[in-house]
Parts: sequence; structure tokens; C-alpha cells
Amino acid sequence: MAASRRQFLARSAQGAAGAACAGLAWFSLLRQEAHAAPFALRPPGARPAGDFEALCVKCGQCVRACPYPTLKLAPAAAGIPLGTPYFVPREEPCHLCEDIPCAKACPTGALDKALDRVDRARMGLAVVDAENCLSWQGLRCEVCYRVCPVKGRAITVDPHPRGISKHAVFVPVVHAQDCTGCGLCEKACPTQVAAIRVVDPRLVQGRIGEHFRRPATTRDAGLAEASPESAPAAPTAAPMKPSAAPSSLPGPQAPTGKAVDYLNAPVEGL
Amino acid sequence: MTSLTRRAFIKSSVATATAATVGFPVSQVALAQARKAEAGWAWDKAVCRFCGTGCGIQVATAGGKIVATKGDPAAPVNKGLNCIKGYFNGKILYGADRLTQPLMRMKDGKFDKKGDFAPVTWKAAMDEMEKQFRRAYQEKGPSGVSIIGSGQYTIQEGYVAAKLMKAGFRSNNIDPNARHCMASAVAAFMQTFGVDEPANVYDDIELADTVVLWGANMAEAHPVLWSRVTDRRLVAKATKVVNVTTYRNMSSDLSDLEIVIKPSTDLALQNWIAREIVARGAMNKAFVEKHCVFATGPYDIGYGMRPTSKFAYEAEKDIQAKELVVTLDKYEAVGQRRKVGEQVEQKSRTSAGRHWLISFEEFKRGVEPYTLDFVAELCKGDPDEPLAKFKEKLEQLLQLMIDPKRNVISFWTMGFNQHQRGVWVNEQCYMIHLLLGKHATPGNAAFSLTGQPSACGTAREVGTFAHRLPADMVVDNPAHRALTEKTWKLPAKTLNPKPGSDIMGILRDIEDGGVKFLWVQVTNPFQSSPNANHWIKAARETDSFIVVADCYPTLSGKVADLVLPAAMIFEKWGAYGNAERRTQMWRQQVDPPGEARTDVWMMLEFAKRFRLKEVWGEKALPGLKVEGYADGRLPDVLAEAKALGYDPEATLYDVLFARPENKAFAWPDPVAKGKANSTVKALGENWFVEKALFEEYAQFGRGHHDLAPFDLYYRDDVRGLRWPVVNGKETKYRFLEGHAPYAKAGARFDFYGPARKALPTGDLDKVTDAKPPSLAGKAKIFFRPYAAPVEQPDANYDLWLCTGRILEHWHTGSMTRRVAELNRSAPTALLYMHPADAEKRGIKRNDVVWIESRRGKLKLVVDTKGRNAMPKGSVFAAFFDEALLVNKLALDAVDPISRESDFKKCAVKVTKA
Amino acid sequence: MNAVSPRAVRHFEPPTTLSGWLVARRFQLARRITQAGVLLLFAGTAAWGWKLAGAPLLAGNLSAATLAGSVPLVDPFAVLQMLAAGRVPESTALGGALLVLAAYLVAGGRAFCAWACPMNLVTDAAHAMRQRVGGRDLVHLSPSMRYWALGLALVLSALTGLAAFEWVSPIAMLHRELLFGAGLGLTAAAAIFLLDAFVAKRAWCGHLCPLGAFWSVAGRAGLTKVAFSDAACTRCGDCVRACPEPRVLDFKNCAARGFVAAGECTNCGECIAVCPEKALRFDLLARAPRPDPFRRKEKPHETHPARSSSPRSPRSPSRRSPRRFPTRSSA
Repeated sequence: MAASRRQFLARSAQGAAGAACAGLAWFSLLRQEAHAAPFALRPPGARPAGDFEALCVKCGQCVRACPYPTLKLAPAAAGIPLGTPYFVPREEPCHLCEDIPCAKACPTGALDKALDRVDRARMGLAVVDAENCLSWQGLRCEVCYRVCPVKGRAITVDPHPRGISKHAVFVPVVHAQDCTGCGLCEKACPTQVAAIRVVDPRLVQGRIGEHFRRPATTRDAGLAEASPESAPAAPTAAPMKPSAAPSSLPGPQAPTGKAVDYLNAPVEGL
Repeated sequence: MTSLTRRAFIKSSVATATAATVGFPVSQVALAQARKAEAGWAWDKAVCRFCGTGCGIQVATAGGKIVATKGDPAAPVNKGLNCIKGYFNGKILYGADRLTQPLMRMKDGKFDKKGDFAPVTWKAAMDEMEKQFRRAYQEKGPSGVSIIGSGQYTIQEGYVAAKLMKAGFRSNNIDPNARHCMASAVAAFMQTFGVDEPANVYDDIELADTVVLWGANMAEAHPVLWSRVTDRRLVAKATKVVNVTTYRNMSSDLSDLEIVIKPSTDLALQNWIAREIVARGAMNKAFVEKHCVFATGPYDIGYGMRPTSKFAYEAEKDIQAKELVVTLDKYEAVGQRRKVGEQVEQKSRTSAGRHWLISFEEFKRGVEPYTLDFVAELCKGDPDEPLAKFKEKLEQLLQLMIDPKRNVISFWTMGFNQHQRGVWVNEQCYMIHLLLGKHATPGNAAFSLTGQPSACGTAREVGTFAHRLPADMVVDNPAHRALTEKTWKLPAKTLNPKPGSDIMGILRDIEDGGVKFLWVQVTNPFQSSPNANHWIKAARETDSFIVVADCYPTLSGKVADLVLPAAMIFEKWGAYGNAERRTQMWRQQVDPPGEARTDVWMMLEFAKRFRLKEVWGEKALPGLKVEGYADGRLPDVLAEAKALGYDPEATLYDVLFARPENKAFAWPDPVAKGKANSTVKALGENWFVEKALFEEYAQFGRGHHDLAPFDLYYRDDVRGLRWPVVNGKETKYRFLEGHAPYAKAGARFDFYGPARKALPTGDLDKVTDAKPPSLAGKAKIFFRPYAAPVEQPDANYDLWLCTGRILEHWHTGSMTRRVAELNRSAPTALLYMHPADAEKRGIKRNDVVWIESRRGKLKLVVDTKGRNAMPKGSVFAAFFDEALLVNKLALDAVDPISRESDFKKCAVKVTKA
Repeated sequence: MNAVSPRAVRHFEPPTTLSGWLVARRFQLARRITQAGVLLLFAGTAAWGWKLAGAPLLAGNLSAATLAGSVPLVDPFAVLQMLAAGRVPESTALGGALLVLAAYLVAGGRAFCAWACPMNLVTDAAHAMRQRVGGRDLVHLSPSMRYWALGLALVLSALTGLAAFEWVSPIAMLHRELLFGAGLGLTAAAAIFLLDAFVAKRAWCGHLCPLGAFWSVAGRAGLTKVAFSDAACTRCGDCVRACPEPRVLDFKNCAARGFVAAGECTNCGECIAVCPEKALRFDLLARAPRPDPFRRKEKPHETHPARSSSPRSPRSPSRRSPRRFPTRSSA
């Protein structure tokens, strides 16, 4: 009995080790796969990265509900987690259906049905490559501005004197607070490679320190009047916090710790 | 300071700082790389293929292909810029479905109207064309054959077509698509100034303090010119831009003042301005007394529809009936000083252009009913706008125009021209500017913009209209005919004195069997013309023979019997004239593909097939009733032709084109700098056809309309010249002493135009004294009343439909839809609609809807957020999309004076599909 | 009870006629029809827009679907993993999962594996290949490994915050690829085919699949079961050889319970089809206590000398007799 008991224990240990081994492999595969791409254009209403991947069962019902050939389930080696819905705007952008059929079709809530107006979707952020944008070169293009379904809010055209001749240059400017990331602009851009692209907002957006408040400008005032629903979220009323000292940086050490310790510390040369 | 619209330019944005770098940021490294990549390319100057702005471009060729284009930095119009269409000038030549051989409807090896298109040789194509032309010409005479031409003809093409038809076949049935585009502007120029085309130049933009757009969405339709207006607006802080329109469009983005009016109420609005100018003492009395007279004309002129309901669909009959009798509505009653509900017989339908002089007092009496209350109630186009606010805006507009310190430019295009009273509304704009004395001086202009690249240079100046001869002359003027016959070395009375059919007339003639042969050149009338279901059916189901020469298969090609492959702009030598009288020329850059040929070659070859004896004998011309001619007959002129030394067996090619003096222009010519000439090559001759014909044509303008010598336009430092070019010097301002070479000295202004200057005198309603006073040097200020559109929304067809262009596509898209990038940018025509109108019909953005008028229906996708923001009750759709023939919904009413169609207003209903 | 003369042990005779073949293969054919049918309903809805009452007939795939535009159907195992991952999906998904769970409880738990799962086609094909070419297992797999996999799936879901098996499931991949053309499904199917055909017998469905394990657990409570008539059974062993699952047919247990009680049973019906004595059959309420459901008076022979003499099926000469489930004669 003792022998068989030992045998059983050994086999159990073997099993557990095997399972652990398989589990580790599986675990690393999951991490690799789920985070294969830092950013993919998801259907409108998609939960934030992380939540979305956890809730999406890859059933493709959003793909079927999409009336355009926009949404696809990610194939292998697309750099996007396998089987999850996404779209490539240059191929087919999101047309921002007012009834948002894709989100309605989602059974798990990976796409949020609470999204009541499609222009509140935030799939990505359009950015203009000024060096290759025709409008920036002075050509009368502005196709992106005209196809924008949130026209006049997400993209505006700001004319400026060209300087070198008596013509104006019509510069398209994207306003992140209203850009849905639908990609209609990217699709329509007439340059060989689109000069306006939808990207991960985290890659391009900075943030002004919360201790500072932007003085109201004409544009802000105008936008607030025109689209109160798209006004930025109310600033958090958090008390001002001390900045974290960038102590790892070379050069003079930023003051850390208590003032009194500093004052009491020995002075070099004394 | 007027309030800025939300989308207006704002100077405080972040991007302002970066704008300093805007332009051409090209580094030395990039330049060096470009030079390496472009080794072996030959660059040459040329002209943009598209709109009437007339941008200069540079074209690079290598290996017989166009490899690149760029905006020409030396071109004064555009200084190196292009719009998004111009950016693709090089690519339009290389669509996959270019026509490269003649295609004819065939069955069992021969032509059959019911057959399918099959490739044929040029000889077989021309043989059949000749046969069919002869059939029509013998059966119906000169009025049984026709050409529909184009404002995109090169000058030489238009000249060959006009001369072949008018001098050769003695037919005035040649009319350009420019009839749909700026015929109203032409008629108004002629009636007001006695001479065609703008007095001013684009440089005035840089001097303007007030720019008013009247039915002109310059931001999309004249993109590069708009960037000049915008620059002026930005640089000169006091400059204000006003957009008077029937819906919010891209030009509103930059406007300081946007005035949304109901269709056709511009007639009332301008009369109010005139009334106020007079009432407030803002009139420039000295100018008006010295240089102007007052005039008016009949109101009962009809709507240019057919007087019979024989061809009308059942649904069309109620509107068609108004062609003969109109019941005045309450606004017309006030504006025309009559009673509401009065039935007015349209007696002046056939003499709509008649007009007479009136006194200033009578003029004042005419504009008197146009009070602010009356006009504001009538004009306000946005139901959601408070009336008081609208009145305020009208007052602002008035102030911006009458302020004596302000230079004022009015620009207009299709909103005025495509109008059932297009000539009137054009004339009203001159009325305002002349009353203020703000015209034809630097910075002051009533400026008619043209839509097409050579609507001025070819359609108007060359005289490809059914009523015109070269250089502003008209066929129904004996002196003009005599001069033309002399210049062309024709026997007297060769030219037909009866104006031919305009475009709508030709299409209607095909339907009713009056025209049996149609040659369509450089245009696509079966897609662009209003009420096209009729004409498409007529083309296929009558025994007409329709030839379409084009570079790509179009809808017009589809309904034709013979399709001829045509060379495109850079595959031939040519010249265009833009909206500021600038004539620009280009060399042939590459050869046409396959068997494609130039239109000039096609016409010259066709001319070789007809002999004088066939065309200059006596010809039946039904309806001809002109002094000096037998009724209904053109005389036999062969005897006089013999006396002039012509052999009756000589061909039209020999007599009209390959004349000895023309053949003296030898090919090759040093001006070509080694470039080829596909016309000459295909003809197999050694004379420079385009140069000879240009120089022949230029004779007509000497002394008033002077063009420079052909070679001068090709000089490396020339980027087009604005006529009159006298002693090598171009002209900026016509009529203005010191600028205009033909303005008499001493008076500052000389409105020297000779046409329509012998007029009777009368009161507002009738002629009272038939004896004409001297009007030399005077311009006319017309009183024209408000007239309601003949078709208006009702309970059934409850929305206004306006059709038009968009920036991305040119007209019917036959070229721009072949550019994949442009097709991707604007793949399909959308129906722009107010969100509330959509919601009321259960429609969401991107839904497919049926849009239906009395004349047809089609399915469109709705956009409620797009480029055009419509007021409630109006919808807009562009006509570029061959899959969605938007213009077939439009009413084929035309301005009775100019015969220009009205695409800007008809009644439709929209239902969810 | 013992008045009946002893019966000879008969074996399943491979059919010689078409009708015989159809009868012998009736469950296999039925399963192929339902498997293809499920795929066809999805594909028809996707590709040809099939509708029911104006709504798409069956939209989605086996992970989650909507029937007639209103009835949600969701893989309960996927939902279980989400819950393990600490995410509560929308009520639609929860309801859909309960609905599917309930349906399969009626149909008998692992009926999914035999009747709906597209991978069954692959593994059955692999098995047929294996029988044709023969070969020994390269590795020894324990049928209980799938429970480890099931456990791991839940643990990893908790650790990674993702539905762990859903992210790697070759079944979902195959179904997605068939319906959406989206990647790796056929590759995964090929891998499993090779695994089953050449590495170890019935490796995927019978040993490794955590989804199968999930349905095995659920299947214990399933209503439709294979009823077993101890009276009719001659212990010929044909059913055991036909059974794709390693440990399902245990005569002792079956005799005691009156039905095949193991949760791993996929209700594939192969045992029923081959039983020469008709001792097996489907019964919705097999688990209800009744006397012999076959109502056979005769007791089968307790023993028979011929039992152990023909353990091998003529069609699978390499097949060893089931070691773990000896017949009574050998007991």
C-alpha cells in the first residue's frame, strides 16, 4: 500500500508539474496574444483595452450586424488578437451608423450598448501628417474635412495666409474631443499613402498639467456653445500634488525629502 | 464687427503658429533626390483641364507618358497651387477604359440602330457617319443636323466646329454645354454692356473690401480663386465676405455674413438693395447720369418649356401648362404691380429679350414695392431663422455694399445663371453695381465667374452658340453675317440668319423628330441635361443617328449609335480662355492612345467628305422669315462661289480649312520645340492646323477683342494673356480710361459695347416711343421684377431640389471618376438633407431613399451632416455620379432669354427606400 | 428466469446491403447532418442572409449566436471563464449561456461534442485514418488530463483576466475560419488531425479538450442517456470498441445504473448502432428508476465460453481488447 501510495503521490506530482508546465506555456501565449497589438480600431462602443479583450467572445455578430464591409475578425498574423473584431479605415472605415447595430449585436457587452450616440464613440484619433498633407502644401483639397461625419467639430479647416503668394492655405486641424476615430478621412485622403491616419490616441496625445487651467479662447467658447455634449469632462477637483522628482535623471539632484533634513545636512567644503 | 460663424477662421488657435512654415518645405536633400528621380523628364507649361479659374500647371513627360504634373509657380492665377482635381491632371489620361477605337452599333456586319457596339475602323465609322448625315441633311435640311459642343473645347476645336456647321453646312444647330453654364451671363452682358465677358480681372480680389457671393459656392467650384478671396479676407482685416445662398455650403465657412434665401428670391432681394440705394441717396448720380440709361422689358416671357403637352409625361402636364398661362401669386402680384390670382398669358414667350428704355422715375416706381418687410418675408430661406435676424442681415449686406469707402466685388456662377430668370438676375447685379458706380474699376466689379476652362475662350469668344458668330457677333445681325462671310471668304448669304436650336432645343428636336443627326463633342449631355429620361429614350427610339466623340465611355456614349475615341487635353495642341479673359496655350505632350484622334482631325476628315455643290445650293429652312431671304429657304450661293473662284466640286475641307493662307503655316514649327502634333500626323499633311486656325480666328477680334500672335503665348515667360492684347500689352479693365485700349478718352468710362444699343423708349409696361436715342458709350440699368419659379414644392412634391458640383469631381465625372483616389474621396453622390426633414420621413443618415420628381425617380444615400447644410425644405445632390442621374429629376425649364436650363430648383419628394 | 436456453454471443456484422449500411451508420449520418446543419445555419445566415421572422436566422458562431434576432445563445464555458476572469458579461450573455446549458442538459451534456462541434468531424476523420493505417500511440495520455486543462483554463482566466481557453480554442478558431475566414482554424484542425491520427488515439476529444471536460461535468446531470439492458447484453464488447471515449462503457456500472452514467459519454450512438442485441438505446428519462427499460424477460447468459475468444473486431485488427473493462467472463 505504501508503495502504491508513493506511486500515486509521484504520479500526482508528475501530473501537477505537467499541468504547471502546460499552464505556463498557455499563460505566456495568452499574454503574448492578448497584447499582440497595442492598438486596433475596434467597433464603436468597444470597452477600453483589457476589458474589451476579456469580454469579447469573438462570435462575429458585430461583423454580421455591420451593414458595410467594415468590420472583420482578425486573422492570424494581423498583429491583432486573433478573432477579435477590428477595421482598417483605409480599406473600409466605420460609417458611424446612427443606430449602432454592431454594439447592439454584442451579446457580452464587449461593445457597450450604453453608447447612445455614435458620434460619442472614441475608436481612435485622426492625425494629420503635415509634411505630406496636400492642404498643408496649399492645395485646395480638404477632403478629410468634407467627409468628416462630425464635420466642423472633429476636423476644422483653419485658413492662413500663404505668405509667398496672395493665396490662403486651408489647414485641416483635428480636434480630439470630437474625433470618433471612424477613419472616413483616412479612407478618403487622396494622397498615395493617406496623410491623415487614425492612431492610438495614447501615442500622440499629451496632457496639460492639472494644476494649470487653459484660458478660454475664441475656439473653446465657440465649441462649447455649439456642442455642449462634446465639451471635455469637468476637470477633477483633486488637490494639487507635489510632482514626483525625476531623481533618476543625471545632473543636479532635485530636492527630495524634508526641507529640514536638507538644511541640516553638512555643507560641502566646511 | 459682424459675428463669426462657428467654423469661421480663428486666429487664436494653436495652428496659427505653425502656419508660418506652411508652403513648400523642401530641403536641399529632398531637392537633390528629386532631381535624380526626375532625370530625363521634360517639363513644359500647360493649363489645368478643369474649371474656369484657369490655373497654370507644369507637365512632365518621359517615354511618351505623362509622369508628373505640378502647379506652375509662375502662373499668376494660381502661383503653383492646384485643387484636388488639378492635382490629378496627369492621371485622368490613364483610366483603364480609355476609348482607343471607334465603336459602332452593329448587326450582321453592318450598322444597326438596335445592334450592339463593336469595334470598327475609322473608315467604316466615318462612312456610316457620312451616310447618316447625308440622310438627315437631305431629309431635313440644315436644321436636321446638329452638334452639341463644349466650354471645354479648345479654341481651335470650337472654331472648326462652328465654321464647319455655320459656313459649311449652313446650320446654326451647334450649341455648347456652356448653354447650361453661363448663357444667362452672356445675354446679360450683351443687354447691359453690348459686349460679352467680364470687365475686371482676378487681381481685383486683392483690392476688395466687400466680396459678395451670389449663388456661387466658390470654395468648391473655383477652389484656387477662393483661396485668393480667403487670403484677402485674412490679410485685410476690414474685408468682409457675404454668402448669399439657398443653403449653407463650404463658402459659408469663411463668410462673415451668410444669407440663406429661398430659390429665385434673389430677384426681390436685389430690387430691395436698388430701392434702398436710391431711397438713401447712395446712388452715384454723376456716374449714372453720365454713363447709364434705364431699361426694362416684358414680364410675360414664359419659362422656356415646350408650348405643347404632346411629349410631356402625365405628371409633367400641370407644370407644362404654366408655359402659356400663369396665375400670379401674392409676391409676384406685389412685385409686378398686379393683382393676386391674375391669370397672365405669356405673350412675350418668343420675344423675351425685347427691352426698351425707361426714365429714372419709372425705374424708381418699379423698385418701390420691394420694401424690407416684403422682401424679408419673401426671401428668408431658413424657416428656423427669426425674421428680425434675417432683416438685420439684409441691412448688413446693404451697408457692406453701399458704403462709399468700400470696394465691392460680386461673384456669381450657377445660382444666378441656372435660373428661370437668369438674365434678369444677372442684370440686377449690374444694376446694383452701376447705381453705385462700382464696376470696371480696380477693386469694384460685378464679376460673372465661368464654370468651364474655356467657356469664355471658346464657347463665347469663338461663337459656338446657336445664335453666335466669332467675336461677340450674332447670326441674326446682317452686318455681322456680312463681316463673317467676308472674313471667311464666303459668298454673301451663305450664313444662315436664323438662330439654331440651343442644347435643350436640339434634345427636344430629337424627341420630336426635327433633328436626325447629332454629333456630341467634349461633353456628356445625356447625363448632364435636365429631364434626361426624355432625351435618353428619344436617342434610342427615334431614327436619329447620334455620334459621341469622347475619351471614355459615358452615358452619352451608351445611348449613341457611334462612339469615336477622342484625344485628351495633353494629347493635342490647344488653347483655353478663362474667366478673366486670359488666353493660355499648351503644346501636345504625348500621343493619344491607340486609334484615338483629336476632335479637330475628326471634323477635318468629315469636311473632306462633303462638296460645295451639296451644301451651298438652295436649302429648305422651315420657319425662316428674314428680310432679304425667301421665306423658308436659304438661297443657292454656288454661282457666287464660282465667282469667288471656288469649284463646286471642292470639298469643305479645302474651302474652309486647308486654304492656301492656312497651309502657309508650316509644320514642323520651331514653336513646337520638338513636340509632336497628332492632328497633323493623322491628316498626313504638313501645315500646322492649330496655329493656322487660331490666326485665322484671331482676325475677328482685331480692333476690339485682340488676341496676341500664336507664338507669343508659347514664349517661356508668358503665362497666358488677358485680351484685348494691344501692342503686346494685355488689358486689366475694360471700359475704364487708362486701362481699356478702346475706351474713348475724356469720360473716364466708356461702355463701348455696340450690341443692343438701338432701343425704343417706354414706361414700365410698354413702349411709348419707338425712335431710338443715342446710347453710345452707355450701360443699361435694368428694372427686372420678381418672378416665382414655375415649379414649386406642393403637398405631393414637397421639397426643393438643387443639383450641382462638388470639389472632388468634374461635371459628369467621366475623367475624375477614372482617378481611383478621387473616386475613393467621393465615391457616390449623396442627398444632403436637413436632419429634421429626414427624421420626419423616418430617415437616418446613410439610409437609402427614393427621390422622385414629376420627371423620374432614383435611389440615393442620405447625408444629414455632410458638406452642405440644407435648410428645412431643401435637398441637394451632385450630378457627377453616372450611376445616379440626378439631373434627370431636374425641370427642363430654361431662361426664356438665354435658353439656359435651371438646375437649381425643382420640386421633389423623398421617401425611405 | 433460467428457463431460457443459453444464447450464443453474436457480434456486430458489417452490413452487406445499402439499407443495412444505412441502419448501421444511422447515428453517424444523423450526427453528420446536425454538424453540417449547424454550420449551414450559421453560414446560410452569414452568406445568403437566411432569415426567420424577418430577423437573421442564426447569426454569430458557436461561441455566441443569436437565433432569429432575439434568442441569445452563448457558450456557457466561455461565460464561466469570463466570470473566473472577474468580468461579468451582460445579461444577454448570461441568459444565453443558461439557455445553451439547459438545452444540452436535456440533450445530454456532451451531446455538443458529438452532434455540434465541428472538430468532431476532424477527430472522427483522424480516427478513421488511424484505423486504416494502424500505428501505436506515441505518447500515453490520460483521459483525465482534460480536467486539468479545464482547471487550468479557469485558473489562467483568473490570472490573466482573459477567457483563457477562448483565446486559444482550436474549436472556436475552426468555426470562425469556416464562417468568417478569420485565421488559423484550418491550421489548428490540421494539427489536431495529425495529433489524433498519429500521436495518440482520440487524443483531443478523449483526453485534452477542456471544453469537452466542461460538458463532461455538465453531462453528469444530463437527461438524455444511453439506456443499458443488462438482460440483453451478451458482453460481446462491440460497443466498447465502437465507443470513442476511453472510460465510458463500464458494464458493471451500466448494469447497476441501467444506463451509461459516465459524464464523458457524448451520446454519439455508435454503441447503439453496433450492438447486435439491441441492449443499448437512447432514453430521455433513462436516469429515472424503473425496472428493465427494455422489458425483456430473459436474463442474458451469465457466462459464455465464446466471449473471450473473439475480442477483436475484424475491421480493427490492431485494436486491443479493453483492458480496464473486462467482461464478466473474464472477471
